Amino acid sequence: MMFCVTRLLDVPADDRDRVLSAVREVAERSGALRWVVAPTDQRSRNGGDILVHLRFGDETGWRTCEPELKAVLAVPAITRVIGATYEGEPTRRDSSGTVYRALLLRVSPDAPAETVARFEDELRSMPRYVDTILAWQLSPVISAEGPTAWTHVFEQEFTDADGLMGPYLMHPIHWAVVDRWFDPETTDVLVRDRVAHSFCEHPAPVLD
Amino acid sequence: MADGEVYVIDRVVTRPGCAREFIDTYLAEYAPGARERGMTLRDVLVSPPIWFDDQPNTVTITWSLPSPLAWWQMTWKGRPDPTLGAWWDRIDALLLERNRSVAAAAADVDALCEG
Repeated sequence: MMFCVTRLLDVPADDRDRVLSAVREVAERSGALRWVVAPTDQRSRNGGDILVHLRFGDETGWRTCEPELKAVLAVPAITRVIGATYEGEPTRRDSSGTVYRALLLRVSPDAPAETVARFEDELRSMPRYVDTILAWQLSPVISAEGPTAWTHVFEQEFTDADGLMGPYLMHPIHWAVVDRWFDPETTDVLVRDRVAHSFCEHPAPVLD
Repeated sequence: MADGEVYVIDRVVTRPGCAREFIDTYLAEYAPGARERGMTLRDVLVSPPIWFDDQPNTVTITWSLPSPLAWWQMTWKGRPDPTLGAWWDRIDALLLERNRSVAAAAADVDALCEG
């Protein structure tokens, strides 16, 4: 089980390189077993301008790094920080991808536990249908950052951005099955708050 | 890119005597926005085809979109609009149950799943 931290940063274009360098310096000495600090793909939705993801062997590793990351994220150039900390176990196929994606979502607090379990099972079933997903992890949130009380983080590694925007988005398992949980026009809707869908290039394994 | 028409099917069971009012309201209030989001109305079917005043009717409304991408574009337009969910909440007073499903022609299933 990995202890994971994801932060999505809103940063004006002029300040992005400077913020990227500063956060990368913190990540490099954080002790994280895997980390990503990268500009987000512009097709992200509510996903920030910079994606920060750190994976520690346990919570102690994170707690050691936390004050330094907090400090570097407190600069005025960063206009919004949303994110989550969570524990999870990834599943991986034989190969690794070039795109890392994190989906932060909030399930309605009044949803029955058995309904939430069905929703989680359906999310976890997606890689069975979409072979451009090379690794994945669905995790319950321990603590949320920002105005939305995120309940889940669904992370994936994709072959590439085309594998996300094409086979993943366009497969019927997505638009005819799983999306109903996010659709306020259906009676199954569980996720009413705007999700954060963020992805970036990262040509090395992340979910390990 | 996956291709093939996508169908959005609203199937509702109306309260006794409410089928005609539901359909009139749906066509007047819901359908114009749905068309603006790219949906084409294919059918409004009433079963049984009698305007019951003492029994429920089942109403099946079918929309089509030209592709999964058009389906996503429809949702991207509609999802940020809080009035859509509120409209369904309001119309619930005329209904005993409702369900929305998404479908495709059997001949298109393999192509849609293969991408």
